[in-house]
Amino acid sequence: MNRSNGERVSSVRRLLAAAGRVYERRAKLVAAIAESTGLSAEGVELGFSYLERGASDAELAALVSGVSEASHVHVILSANVFVAALRALTLAVAAAPRVTVRPSVRDPWLTRALVDELAEPAVEIVDERDPAALDADSLHVYGRDSTIAAVRSAARPGAAVLGHGAGLGVVILTGAADIDGSAERIAVDVVAFDQRGCLSPRLVLVEGDVARAMRVAESLHRELSGWGLRVPRGRLEPGERAQARQWTDTVSFAGRAWEGADHVVGLGPAGEAPTLPPPGRHVHVADVATLEHAAALLAPISRFVVAVGTDDSAAVRGVAPPHARLSLLGRMQRPPLDGPVDRRSATDRKI
Amino acid sequence: MVRAFEKRQPMPESFDSLAADLARFQAENVPGYSRLCAARGVDPRFISRASEAPAVPTDAFKVARVFAFDERAAAVTFRTSGTTLGARGVHSMRDPETYDAAALAFARAMLGIGAGPRAPVLVLGPPQDEAPDSSLAHMCALLSRELGAPETLDAYFVRDGRLNVAALRSRVRSLSPDRPTLVLATSFALVHLLDEIGGEALALPRGSRVMQTGGFKGRSREVSAPELRASIALTFSVPQRAIVSEYGMTELSSQFWEATLVDERARPGIYAEPPWARVVVVDPETLAPVPDGAAGVARIEDLANVDSAFAIVTQDQVRRASAGFELLGRLPGAPPRGCSIALDEILSGSESAP
Repeated sequence: MNRSNGERVSSVRRLLAAAGRVYERRAKLVAAIAESTGLSAEGVELGFSYLERGASDAELAALVSGVSEASHVHVILSANVFVAALRALTLAVAAAPRVTVRPSVRDPWLTRALVDELAEPAVEIVDERDPAALDADSLHVYGRDSTIAAVRSAARPGAAVLGHGAGLGVVILTGAADIDGSAERIAVDVVAFDQRGCLSPRLVLVEGDVARAMRVAESLHRELSGWGLRVPRGRLEPGERAQARQWTDTVSFAGRAWEGADHVVGLGPAGEAPTLPPPGRHVHVADVATLEHAAALLAPISRFVVAVGTDDSAAVRGVAPPHARLSLLGRMQRPPLDGPVDRRSATDRKI
Repeated sequence: MVRAFEKRQPMPESFDSLAADLARFQAENVPGYSRLCAARGVDPRFISRASEAPAVPTDAFKVARVFAFDERAAAVTFRTSGTTLGARGVHSMRDPETYDAAALAFARAMLGIGAGPRAPVLVLGPPQDEAPDSSLAHMCALLSRELGAPETLDAYFVRDGRLNVAALRSRVRSLSPDRPTLVLATSFALVHLLDEIGGEALALPRGSRVMQTGGFKGRSREVSAPELRASIALTFSVPQRAIVSEYGMTELSSQFWEATLVDERARPGIYAEPPWARVVVVDPETLAPVPDGAAGVARIEDLANVDSAFAIVTQDQVRRASAGFELLGRLPGAPPRGCSIALDEILSGSESAP
């Protein structure tokens, strides 16, 4: 734990350079990642465009100063979008001179490729399943809350366990937003990773009346239809399809649904609490009278909101959950490399 | 139909005929149902069989009004305990008469209660004044009022959310041994009872019966149905076949019961349907019926749901069995393939920091 900040930044830069080389040879990985993630090949290619290959000095300074140092970090990856392995590794190498990582069982490909390309003895794959058997003094765990809790209870005494749980993204459109332009950019954020990321928007709250929300829904439906032709949605598991059916019928009953071949946009009843759609390019649009109304509707789930996209950050900053990353539309999936994408853990402690 | 069932007469109309009438009525008077029919490509005017009518997802009760009348005319409103984004499911009725008649008729039949003297009734659940929007409390009050001996009215042993074991013990010990008793209990109250009394017996008079209902919903430890049944039987000194489970939900007006008290061939865990309600096992994605014996989710067609939705689709997994259906638990959520939060994780209300 005696590395200077400069050394720590250098280790992150070496990892980003390795990511750049993996990106150049990504064609070799596309089929395997498509198989493991369920994304279409086009969806994997699109996903690779979100792989960070560089960062500004200021971003890396923020990243390094935001992590708690350790001598050995072990990273446990379970449910994440496939490119998230890189940010998880950058946080680990920024924190400790020795890093071991257990890739996701379902989706190990990018993690293995990054570690192989980095080719540093201090960063290696360790497939140990039992947290108690690890000698790391810090465990970075990515997955559902139940996974994090299981690791925390099984970790050996003295090991710090830092969890990164699941979440969702929300869009808040102000009354001044351009409808078609906003819908075009929201679709970009929805399509990436088939909405399986915690930054992916699943709710769109539109300041204004229900007629305005309907115009947003119609425009978003057109945009997602176009995306479906260029980047087809990948396969949905039976459980996901069942949830989609239930949600689509619910929103059809409560309001209206626009069903595309690869997506559904739902419009809820005027002013009512939205129905949360399942991932897989399903978006619920709802009208809100004011931005404060948006905050009130989000209150029951605000602790799950990781990202808020908007046309006007200044107007929305005061009503978005304080831990959420605030981005302009179309940029929700591209947060700066200045720390974890999920800032909820950082509100109580440094990671 | 309910009256015909009580008098053991043939049904006056076919299930399909009544269902088709209800579907048309609800499409005309429940705007959401009209929209759902349109979305599913169904013209309600041409529905001739129950199976042709789209089923309303239970989540719709949480986010929309599912009733065919002016909200101000509601005489009874039941609400679900679970929430989605802060909303509870709401089931309103203009008049609870149909609900009450159906509930009472099938309860009598499944509990094997004839025209004899009324039984003492003990309720291990909250009284209606403490849970005015609970359909379960309404049903227990109804059964207690209509089936119970006058001196045992108001025999509720859960008050302010706490089971009063001392009062229950005292009441059980005061029961006359020649008066079979009816116990109406929530599953979690029974678990609390078992946990509090340990191995102590609270023997009920010979011929007593126990109805248990409801899940645990985090209010007690979870106990498997066979284990709970065996423990209750020991505690109350009743045969296991005298303990019957009831399956109902806020969104319905009818209930389903185990038939072990009245049918010696009936198996525990198999729920019987009244003639005016049936469970169709459907594929959760296509909502089409599955082959007999296969598991799916419950599409419930309830002709007593006159003013709301006669067909609903739940997230409860079921399988057809002889003379009924088997309840297999909630449909599990899809395994996560990303860090986007799953619906069941939000609904679980996990408070742990990520």
